[in-house]
Amino acid sequence: MRAARNNGLGGGRPGEGAGIANLLFVIPALTLYALFVLWPLAASLYYSLTDWDGIGQPRWVGLANFARAFDDDIHLASYLHVTLYILGTLVFEVSFGLVMAVLLNSDRPGFALLRGLFFSPVVLSMSAAGVLWTFVFDYRTGLVNAMLKGMGLSDWAQPWLSQPATALLCVMLVSGWKFAGFYMILFFAALRRIPRSLYEAATLEGAGPLRQFFSITLPLLKQNILICGLLAVTGGFAGFDLFFTMTNGQPYNTTEVPVTWIVKMGFDSDQLGYGIALTVILTVVVSLISLLYLRFAERSHAVEY
Amino acid sequence: MRSSIRTPRNPPKTLGEWLQFGIGAVIVAGMCFPAFWMTYSSFKTNREIFRAPYALPETWHWENLTKAWEDGGLGGLYLNSIIVTAASVILCAFFATLAAYAFARLEFPFRRVLYRVFLIGLLLPPPAVAIALFTQLRDMGLLNTLWALIFANAAWTLSITLFLMTGYFRTLKREMEEAARLEGADTLRVFWYVVLPLVKPAMITTGILNTINIWNELMFALLFISDDASRTLPAGIVRFSGFHSTNYALVFAALTITTVPIMLFYFISQRHVIRGLTAARAD
Repeated sequence: MRAARNNGLGGGRPGEGAGIANLLFVIPALTLYALFVLWPLAASLYYSLTDWDGIGQPRWVGLANFARAFDDDIHLASYLHVTLYILGTLVFEVSFGLVMAVLLNSDRPGFALLRGLFFSPVVLSMSAAGVLWTFVFDYRTGLVNAMLKGMGLSDWAQPWLSQPATALLCVMLVSGWKFAGFYMILFFAALRRIPRSLYEAATLEGAGPLRQFFSITLPLLKQNILICGLLAVTGGFAGFDLFFTMTNGQPYNTTEVPVTWIVKMGFDSDQLGYGIALTVILTVVVSLISLLYLRFAERSHAVEY
Repeated sequence: MRSSIRTPRNPPKTLGEWLQFGIGAVIVAGMCFPAFWMTYSSFKTNREIFRAPYALPETWHWENLTKAWEDGGLGGLYLNSIIVTAASVILCAFFATLAAYAFARLEFPFRRVLYRVFLIGLLLPPPAVAIALFTQLRDMGLLNTLWALIFANAAWTLSITLFLMTGYFRTLKREMEEAARLEGADTLRVFWYVVLPLVKPAMITTGILNTINIWNELMFALLFISDDASRTLPAGIVRFSGFHSTNYALVFAALTITTVPIMLFYFISQRHVIRGLTAARAD
């Protein structure tokens, strides 16, 4: 948005005019974008107001799908689960990433390797990560229970992914494992731009590392933290891959999130109209939260340095 | 954090620095362990995995890998993933660069409005259109073809690529372009002969980021492809592990085969990946 405003770098050269011909440069991208992003988005709005099995003629039902959505306990619970999940990602991804960025911020040899390794799960596919961790958490042969037994704590062994008390937490942990590196790199890049003189001065004043973290690092990273928070929130609402591969809503829909439920409604039970209404709700929720978040972030002026 | 203010390229000196490195190394090793466990377990027999889950294999069963490769049809999955990823990344790179050039340098009707429309895509999650896009692709006759994934992935990476490329164009000086114009080159020539070589580094960086994302894409691949012949790796792996949920050795072998190449790709292109990410989001 800010980018759009700054865009006026003089525009076309004199004599070139506000050429319609220049529009040609945008046409290929616009066509692709309109066909596969904007059009289905608009079509969703229409289909969400119909009863449709996907094959026959859609039948207009007004807001009935939305009324049903607000009455659908599993659907409502899925938003609770995704909210918990997002709170989890703020801890296990964003905060953990920030702490690791500070910990691994050093020019000494070896630290670059640690950063590279810490980041590497980001590159893995979610499906591979999900399958791998399903095996790690497996009741009979999983790594977690094997280690507990090895330490003589057999009683602590749990069916991690198939009991409501731990399933969602496990998905959060895996999500943290997968994405903490992503936030670590973003914070790391920001840390490098903080002038060293600030820390030198603080050291002279006798401030310890912890004090420096809270009085220098955190305030100066405010804007980055806000952006990472936004990424975690919007990304969390769209979360699907890990949930699908690890639990797919089980046990008893306690790990059902909006997207897994949408896929079940739309594809598994042939209620496309209803499924599409759920996607519209998701779009509205994500857009509203993003806009509110950006307003809030703009108002709480990020610190300049 | 204090260590960053010392002179670079020296081994840790103070106790604090050794402690910092030690804690970091322990955490990183703990996080890497499941991946190593998966890799060496793929050389064990199933019985061995059950009996001693975290011991190294007694004998290294390389045949597990070939069996997983054949049973899982991994060759076909790989080929499809390569085609889909390469085609979407190239399509997206060219379309986004053309558009970014226009948005950053040229004047044309509706420029601001159109840019904002593209930016909407930054906030939208792909599931927002999943079902409607499914029916649309079916009506277009593209379901179960690689085209469905190519178009969908290219379109859904356009916004971020366009945004990054436009930002990159703004950091470039205009002198070369203006010189070319004085020589009488038209806009298209300027773009092709002057601009494109200049922005190649940014195209590579965004291209590598898109490659990783599209290579790993699961939701579209699950929804739009039900045919074995057009399935891609991430969806294929989920299916394979569902079929063989008790044959750990085989599943681990398949996972190892599919993750090692992308890891190598990452470690080779690490510099680009990290530069791309920090350009994308840190500011």
